[in-house]
Amino acid sequence: HHQCVNGWMTGCVKRFGVLKRYTNTGHLPFKNSAGQFFSSGHTNNWAVLVCTSRFWFNYRHVANTLSVYRSVKRLGIPDSHIVLMLADDMACNHRNPKPATVFSHKNMELNVYGDDVEVDYRGYEVTVENFLRVLTGRLPPSTPRSKRLLSDDRSNILIYLTGHGGNGFLKFQDSEEISNVELADAFEQMWQKRRYNELLFIIDTCQGASMYERFYSPNIMALASSQVGEDSLSHQPDLAIGVHLMDRYTFYMLEFLEDIHPASKTNMNDLFKVCPKSQCVSTPGHRTDLFLRDPGSVLITDFFGSVRKVELTMDAINLTDPIKQMEENPVNGEEQKEVYSYADQLPVSEIIHQKPKQKDWHPPDGFILGLWTLILLVFFKTYGIKHLKHIF
Amino acid sequence: MAAPLTLLLIVAVTIRAALFRSSLAELIAERVEVVSPITAWKRVVEGLALLDLGVSPYSGDVFHETPLIIYMFHFLVDYAEITFMVSLNKNIILKHFVVEFRKQKFALEADRYPMDSLELIRSPKEMYYIPLKVAMFYLLNPFTILSCVAKSTCGLNNAVLALFFLSTIKGNVLLSAIFLCLATYQSIYPITLCAPAMLYFMQRQYIPVNFRRVSFWWFIVQYLFMYLGSLFVLICLSFFLLGSWDYLPSVYGFILSVPDLTPNIGLFWYFFAEMFEHFRLFFLCVFQINVFFYTIPLSIKLKEHPVFLMFMQLAVISIFKSYPTVGDVALYLAFLPVWSHLHRFLRNIFLVSCVLLACSVLFPVLWHLWIYAGSANSNFYYAITLLFNVAQILLVSDYFYAFLRREHHLTNGLYLKRKDGSEATLILK
Repeated sequence: HHQCVNGWMTGCVKRFGVLKRYTNTGHLPFKNSAGQFFSSGHTNNWAVLVCTSRFWFNYRHVANTLSVYRSVKRLGIPDSHIVLMLADDMACNHRNPKPATVFSHKNMELNVYGDDVEVDYRGYEVTVENFLRVLTGRLPPSTPRSKRLLSDDRSNILIYLTGHGGNGFLKFQDSEEISNVELADAFEQMWQKRRYNELLFIIDTCQGASMYERFYSPNIMALASSQVGEDSLSHQPDLAIGVHLMDRYTFYMLEFLEDIHPASKTNMNDLFKVCPKSQCVSTPGHRTDLFLRDPGSVLITDFFGSVRKVELTMDAINLTDPIKQMEENPVNGEEQKEVYSYADQLPVSEIIHQKPKQKDWHPPDGFILGLWTLILLVFFKTYGIKHLKHIF
Repeated sequence: MAAPLTLLLIVAVTIRAALFRSSLAELIAERVEVVSPITAWKRVVEGLALLDLGVSPYSGDVFHETPLIIYMFHFLVDYAEITFMVSLNKNIILKHFVVEFRKQKFALEADRYPMDSLELIRSPKEMYYIPLKVAMFYLLNPFTILSCVAKSTCGLNNAVLALFFLSTIKGNVLLSAIFLCLATYQSIYPITLCAPAMLYFMQRQYIPVNFRRVSFWWFIVQYLFMYLGSLFVLICLSFFLLGSWDYLPSVYGFILSVPDLTPNIGLFWYFFAEMFEHFRLFFLCVFQINVFFYTIPLSIKLKEHPVFLMFMQLAVISIFKSYPTVGDVALYLAFLPVWSHLHRFLRNIFLVSCVLLACSVLFPVLWHLWIYAGSANSNFYYAITLLFNVAQILLVSDYFYAFLRREHHLTNGLYLKRKDGSEATLILK
């Protein structure tokens, strides 16, 4: 896993993107790609990867999410910038014949679980509410950093959703749904709060294209595994594990991403071509009308990787204005404290020491009389009066 | 006959006593398949405790049994285990007698039938062991053992029903009406057993079942008068016991309107859990009518065989009632040996027994997976419930088919021939 630091590009960029200084490090051929390098205005990358289904037979959704997680991590986005939400635990599920593994290939070629997976939202924490709160940033103050999407207006965010969906909704946890309208509104909130620079939305569910139909915020590019009215199909079952391991779209996307490395120049047009109808059976769709740049100029690593721009400068910069020490406020003398004591709301001591009243219920006498008279009557009616002499 | 029966009794009592003392008793008492909100022992104890605190036991959704049960257990709560075992044994003895009296009927039939179907008639020698088999089927049935150990009041209901059978077959109209009334008073569904009881009495008293005959209607009026009279008396008595009419909505309203949707082995809970309020009343009526609906057609078809009709009716009640438990299932399963002569005509024994066994085993497994492990959901448990009920229905309909087929063979001979003399086969259309 190589780091994302690239030392082969230099320059000092002013606000309006004009190349000011250019230190020669001997990599002249890259001058051509300088323009391309600065064409995207992002400085950091985030990824929100969500798997919304639980139960063992939805193994493939967890495997999908973990494959994208793996690629994204491999290409440089650190765990602190990835919010991974998995609705169920497949690696440690009782039915997993190979515990602590989640495979994405038949014959168990690729274990996407590994030993450095960090799941931020797990099990029942993956709800529509939590997902929307992560996106919009409206989390309670006690939420740890790992569960927050701390993006700013220079962040490129990759959002990947997978699970069971339908026309206009995605099912969470077999009990609730998120609609495309809600999602579009959440993205608009993000735009208005300047929480992203550009957003890539990928969804791998049945009728996935319906989920991006309603987006109306700028700078969003969306991909889906199937059109409205089509089902996304799963790829291959593994007979040893007993379930389908991946969905087709994500499987071919993973294959495509395995060839990408941080220095790749592959652009989005290649990603749109992943999994044509012959391989996927469903027709993958994409939407680029809200995106300002041309998809051909958008690198895969703009969203999937964390290609940092590094400036190498040989100049020394003077830091003027020393930092002043703030004087601490003198601590006041001890304030006078009133003595408070706790007042009982319930007279507990009285209740405890009170002996419970022993009130035993007895059936009313009239009832007992009536009942036994009836029983005797029936008995004598049935068996005749002559038995009386045997009793007395 | 007494010795094997006593031995069987001792074995059964030992098993139950052993289970009562073990730690399994609490486990079994909580299982939803064995206890329902109506029959749970925990609720009886709660009801009695509420009564001791001066509160009506029917306040809050705790206690759904009848006031007479309160009366009985008020004095017997410390001896609960013995009570249940005694009622169980009474049950057995009654069934024993029931079957003995059935033998008479066969003797009567023997003269009427053509020669080659004599092999269909059972000889007294075969029938000698039937009471023992019935006793064994009931006592050693795991369902009854579970039901008894859980101290479910279903056992008491079964005892009253067995008393009803006994009094019917012995010919005592008054007692039969009274016991049926007691059974109905406890859970509403045995009211459908009126029809077979009346048919049996009419057969015994040689009253022809003809709508135009006065004697037919007169007998019906008599029986219904006794039945409704005792029901009225019981309800008034219950009112006097507690001094209020609270128990009517709590007991009968509860059974009929099914507010509690705890999963059980029946068909109501899942359906009504996903039902919209708008349609609830409609489907409630549909489901409840389902229990009572089969009485008339079955009575018309089986008017000469009221005892079999009683069995069928009992089975229908156990399957379609609103809160069935395995105790109800055990009751009609115990009667199967009485019709062991139908064995050669049954078509689905293997399937039914496999499915019943598999479902009984899968009930606790899928419950655990759903509630505790969280890796299944209610659909899994409902699937097994459905399958269990389908198997029961298949069993009942199979016995019905076998019975009708035997009747057909009795009148038409066992080896059927077509007009040209070749062998014919019967097809059920």
